Amino acid sequence: MFSFRDTALRKIQTIGMRYMPFADVATEAVPLSRLLRLSLFQVTVGMALVLLVGTLNRVMIVELGVPATLVGVMLALPLVFAPFRALIGYKSDIHKSALGWRRVPYIWKGTMLQFGGFAIMPFALLVLSGFEEAADAPAWIGQSAAALAFLLVGAGVHTVQTVGLALATDLVEVEEQPKVVGLMYVMLLVGMIGSALVFGWLLEPYTPGKLVQVVQGAAVVTVTLNLLALWKQEPRDRARAARVETHPEFRDAWRMLVEGRTAVGLLVVIALGTMGFGMADVLLEPYGGQVLDLSVAMTTRLTAVLAGGGLIGFAVASKVLLDGADPVDVAWKGTLIGIPAFLLIIAAGPMGQTAMFVIGTALAGLGAGLFGHGTLTATMRAAPRAQVGLALGAWGAVQATAAGIAVALGGIIRDVIVALPGSEFFRPETPYTPVFSLELALLAIALVVILRLKRKQARLDQTRHYHPPRQDRPDPPAAQNAFHAAEAATQSRGYP
Amino acid sequence: MSDDPDKVWPTGLTLKEAEEVHSYLIDGTRVFGAIALLAHVLVAVSTPWLG
Repeated sequence: MFSFRDTALRKIQTIGMRYMPFADVATEAVPLSRLLRLSLFQVTVGMALVLLVGTLNRVMIVELGVPATLVGVMLALPLVFAPFRALIGYKSDIHKSALGWRRVPYIWKGTMLQFGGFAIMPFALLVLSGFEEAADAPAWIGQSAAALAFLLVGAGVHTVQTVGLALATDLVEVEEQPKVVGLMYVMLLVGMIGSALVFGWLLEPYTPGKLVQVVQGAAVVTVTLNLLALWKQEPRDRARAARVETHPEFRDAWRMLVEGRTAVGLLVVIALGTMGFGMADVLLEPYGGQVLDLSVAMTTRLTAVLAGGGLIGFAVASKVLLDGADPVDVAWKGTLIGIPAFLLIIAAGPMGQTAMFVIGTALAGLGAGLFGHGTLTATMRAAPRAQVGLALGAWGAVQATAAGIAVALGGIIRDVIVALPGSEFFRPETPYTPVFSLELALLAIALVVILRLKRKQARLDQTRHYHPPRQDRPDPPAAQNAFHAAEAATQSRGYP
Repeated sequence: MSDDPDKVWPTGLTLKEAEEVHSYLIDGTRVFGAIALLAHVLVAVSTPWLG
């Protein structure tokens, strides 16, 4: 009789647990399928980026006839929240929850913000463009509603990506991190390319009704994929919930993160490299079209070449990092590849060499892939377990800000040169060459900073007798050899 | 198993935990409602349906 009651209760409990959104126990190894599911949040991030920067950019200017400057301001609004990623990450590190959750509440809130932004965005844009009766409405309604929509999406994207990456880092061992980083980057790219194709196909031919369907559809897809991604991922932690912890203030947490480490140097490298690689993203297609007379179909394939190079970069980086390569070293090699890439792109225009241009583009993608993977893996690896959110927040803040500034700056430089008096006599490549040269300069500076970073790291390792946080520690002779190698390397560079 | 008076069945969560799970649902519904209201106002501005 009693055993029946127990069995029944146990049965009810397991049925109940199946519909609860947390992982039951923290398992030793997270299977790839679960990581793949988690990486779905990157698909929604990629989708949001494409919708903002690509699709809506075009629709607002061409189909809705909104002034280009207003469009520029609206699309720059999400960038305002980028620096707050560090704060969001820190908040998730110290989040207090009865379930012992730290990441899921923030991913959920971020998802709601992103959903809300997309849900009101098409109507806000229609009102902004003075669609039907909205032409008689005061202008501030459309402007503030559109601004609110873009801010909501921006805040949502920043939150979801920062905390999502932190959750992924929490779930895997240090040795597995390169795999996760590769997966996250690939899924971001997949989300961007896939949604660019789907949006283009759905919005052709354009009608206001279709705009509403597509953008709100994106909102529904966001919630669906993000729910699917975070379901049963973060384990419930009663021990953490019960602990009474005093957490450091943001400033102290930040000091703990950067003191005695190379974290700030790494962030400088990320800013320089991201700007160096990112500035040409939107200029490669018009460059190919105007300077090399490539057709629209050809220049579209150029984007595929850039993305393909990036994919190869992620794959190579994942492979060598899983084999034990130093992530900063991988980033250094990526930056190094960027130098000949942009030299080829600059030279291809005046020489009329399309093949050279395509090779340069592929190399730029490859270098950017290696650089992105290496720097993110280095960030994850350097982060103490309790500060993963803050470290990845700082990474995201720098990366997103630098990427946004780079794209804007590249466009502004080109437009300013085109608007110069007498520009009709310029050669077609004249507006582009300064941008590509600036990228070369940024990459060169990044190379120097990475070298200094590696020296500093070697010096820190030496003074601290620091062992990399690995599970499978090298046996003592090997560790000693590595130690001596680091010592020899520092001395050969003229350091005491 | 059911001795702990603090736990609610059938999930075996403590009351606090159950309340937290519930709070996500409630907050989600509130945000959803606010967004829907705003969307309706914006649609009414461009294509009024109540005269």
